[in-house]
Amino acid sequence: MNMGVTIAGLTVTYGDLPAVKDVSLRLEDGTITGLVGESGSGKSTLALSLLGHGNIASGSVFIDGVGDMSKMDKGALRAVRGAKIGYVFQAAQNSLNPLLTVGKQLLDLAKSHGVRDVRGAHPLLRRMGLDPDRVLNSYQHELSGGMRQRVGIMFALVLNAHVLVLDEPTTALDMITQANILQIVREVHADRGLTTLIVTHDVGVVAEVASRVAVMYGGRIVECGSTKEVLANPRHPYTRGLINAIPRLTGPVDVAKPLPGTPPTLGTIPAVGCVFRARCPIRMDVCSAQEPEMIDDVACHAVGVTAK
Amino acid sequence: MWRIAGHLTRGLAMIWAVTTFTFVLIRLMPGDPVQVQYERLIAQGMTPDQAESATAITYGFVPHGPMWKQYLEYMWGLAHLDLGVSVESQGVPVADRVFGALPWTVLLVLSGILISFLIGVVLGVVAAMRRSTMVGHGLSIAGSLLHGVPPFVIGIVLAALFTRRWRWFPSGGHFNGDEVSPGFYYDFIGDVAYHAVLPAASFAVASYGGWLLAMRSSVASVLGDDFLLAAELRGLRPFMRFRYLARNAILPLFTVLAISFGLVFGGSIFIERIFNYPGLGMLLYQSIGARDFSMMSGAFLLITAAVIVANILADVLYTVIDPRVRRQA
Repeated sequence: MNMGVTIAGLTVTYGDLPAVKDVSLRLEDGTITGLVGESGSGKSTLALSLLGHGNIASGSVFIDGVGDMSKMDKGALRAVRGAKIGYVFQAAQNSLNPLLTVGKQLLDLAKSHGVRDVRGAHPLLRRMGLDPDRVLNSYQHELSGGMRQRVGIMFALVLNAHVLVLDEPTTALDMITQANILQIVREVHADRGLTTLIVTHDVGVVAEVASRVAVMYGGRIVECGSTKEVLANPRHPYTRGLINAIPRLTGPVDVAKPLPGTPPTLGTIPAVGCVFRARCPIRMDVCSAQEPEMIDDVACHAVGVTAK
Repeated sequence: MWRIAGHLTRGLAMIWAVTTFTFVLIRLMPGDPVQVQYERLIAQGMTPDQAESATAITYGFVPHGPMWKQYLEYMWGLAHLDLGVSVESQGVPVADRVFGALPWTVLLVLSGILISFLIGVVLGVVAAMRRSTMVGHGLSIAGSLLHGVPPFVIGIVLAALFTRRWRWFPSGGHFNGDEVSPGFYYDFIGDVAYHAVLPAASFAVASYGGWLLAMRSSVASVLGDDFLLAAELRGLRPFMRFRYLARNAILPLFTVLAISFGLVFGGSIFIERIFNYPGLGMLLYQSIGARDFSMMSGAFLLITAAVIVANILADVLYTVIDPRVRRQA
């Protein structure tokens, strides 16, 4: 099944303020794309817009074979969510109703989508190393963080969704569990031929699972490309800063250089010019006058100059 | 099981403490019924000796005995479920009067609380869902205003409006003894309900505002929970999401429900007085007026027991509806 996702000129607002502005991105069918950025960069808002959630002011989110999520009415959205596209929350967030067992909520999901048979949950849970009977009879508070995350993935995929969105799936998990979950994501992705978007602030996670990466800052995608290329040869000063900020396993600690300044909040994002210029080491005059266009997968005036 | 046993032990200890307290408190009140009776008999022409022996016969105990002895006797009686004999209506066992009045108060309190709980919870959900509209603001303001008005004020207003201004409802009593006699049939039940409308409505009107506000804030906080967004993103049907919301939001209100049951039970004394309704509150009111010690103790004891039982029930109910509280058997 061919189910890539095309995001075109997407702007998502809270009130009047754009949390995501004029974003275009293609999630190729069968790939894992990593979306990295700091807190408040708009990455979660972008992820939610893939399910048609949020106030989409302009642009489109087109899922092949499903349609434009930004134009669907409530009923159509409800039918698509959970059935064609699955969403996995951050582990620290409680995505389960505390008063019902996992099995009962699974039945509610099935009923909502007119599906009678959810026995697919069993092999899926077993595949992730869980005992299905035990898990289905458990309440949320009886599951560990790693188990909850696997249950979340089960909920996202049990109705055979082909697009999987994971929002910070390993944040708040310990290193071992984090590695486990990433392993599971990789395997399940390959088994089912999914189109996966994984949102994270951890460049390490992207390096481990994603074949493509998009870097977000201030509601814009500032750079994207294949993971290998972007990590080995970052062109946007923000991407470079992110990668330089990662501490190395060997060598002196001060090799890691933190990015100076703080990311903009919704209210402080500059309306004109480059959103990154306040923290940019190679700022030019044009940066405060004009917003850089996305040219050759990177949006930076300085990169444009050197290319010319 | 152990949990319930613990509750029962604590409940009994509480009942003991309250009965002891009321025993002492009542005897500290000015006015002694035995003395009053004694003086009345002398005024009727008896000699002091005659009066003393006559009083001793009517009350079953020698007047002027030490308090600790009375206390021990009273406790001994309680242990045998004997609440003693009424001082005012001589020879009538307190238990008969108190348990005769209890069902009427339970009827008022239960129906009043359930009606106000239902109305308050439904309006609270509406107020939370529409909290930025005129409807939401209006409901919250009305809720806050009524929340601050004590039940007896509402009772007086309702009584003035519906028994004087418009004579829609009877102004007193629990049923019309001239027209119906007690029994399990339509006319009697109808007449009882007809008499209970105003007092029950006083409870309901006075307390629904509290439920409204509590439910509103509870719904608003659950609305922000991640699991509801998760349910939406999984494409759950709207009525299922509403069920998730309602069940989670109503949970914290059950504890308050039990506590309010006790409070309203205690507050019934005003409502029953206003509507001349022969329940426990009315009985207590009359016995205080007559300095009927044993009747007062009995009524207090029953009210205490009702509050404690309500709290135990709430706790047991909580373990049934909230899996997080449920223990492994």
